[in-house]
Amino acid sequence: MEPVTIGEELLEERRRRRRAGDPRITPEGRALLLRMTTGDLMDDFQAALDADLAADPALSGHDTDDDT
Amino acid sequence: MIDEYLAVRVLVGARPDALPDDEPLALPAYRHYRLLQRIHQPGTGQLSGLLAESDQQAIRRPHPEVLQILDPRPLLDEAAAIGARYRSAGLLVGETLAAGLTYGHQLWFGTARNVGTRLAEIADDLRIDVHVAGPA
Repeated sequence: MEPVTIGEELLEERRRRRRAGDPRITPEGRALLLRMTTGDLMDDFQAALDADLAADPALSGHDTDDDT
Repeated sequence: MIDEYLAVRVLVGARPDALPDDEPLALPAYRHYRLLQRIHQPGTGQLSGLLAESDQQAIRRPHPEVLQILDPRPLLDEAAAIGARYRSAGLLVGETLAAGLTYGHQLWFGTARNVGTRLAEIADDLRIDVHVAGPA
């Protein structure tokens, strides 16, 4: 078996931490956030994002063809 | 460069396998702003009443090893140029495309619905690859 270098070990640890996510997320929060982004609450989440965007012309932009 | 959906999935440790894991992932600042609106603004989809304080803190101030928020200042000139050239892009689309141009020519979204027709058209014109890593 090939010996693992210190660099490889450190990189693997970083990868593991990244994949684990933020440790401040609670199990209940995780479940809700997953429903929002991959489950039954996706439509509600997208509708809220779209509404925020529609309410903010600077963020959403407008057609500058009409500008004077 | 990822969107709001993938940012949340990364924070909860449900990162799609398709996303490269050798590089840190970054969320453009105005996309982070959209997530923060979900926490701070009242109304449908508000999260502050549903999430614990520690969950909110993870979204409000992500750990940079897990998720980075891009500083918008170096991207603003490019974003404004894109907006002017394509007439109408808006800050959200302009900043996202400027970030894509600056960092790797790749944009990743958690659902096709969050890409937007205008962004997809301009990204194609600018040769920025748009990927969708939806739910499994």
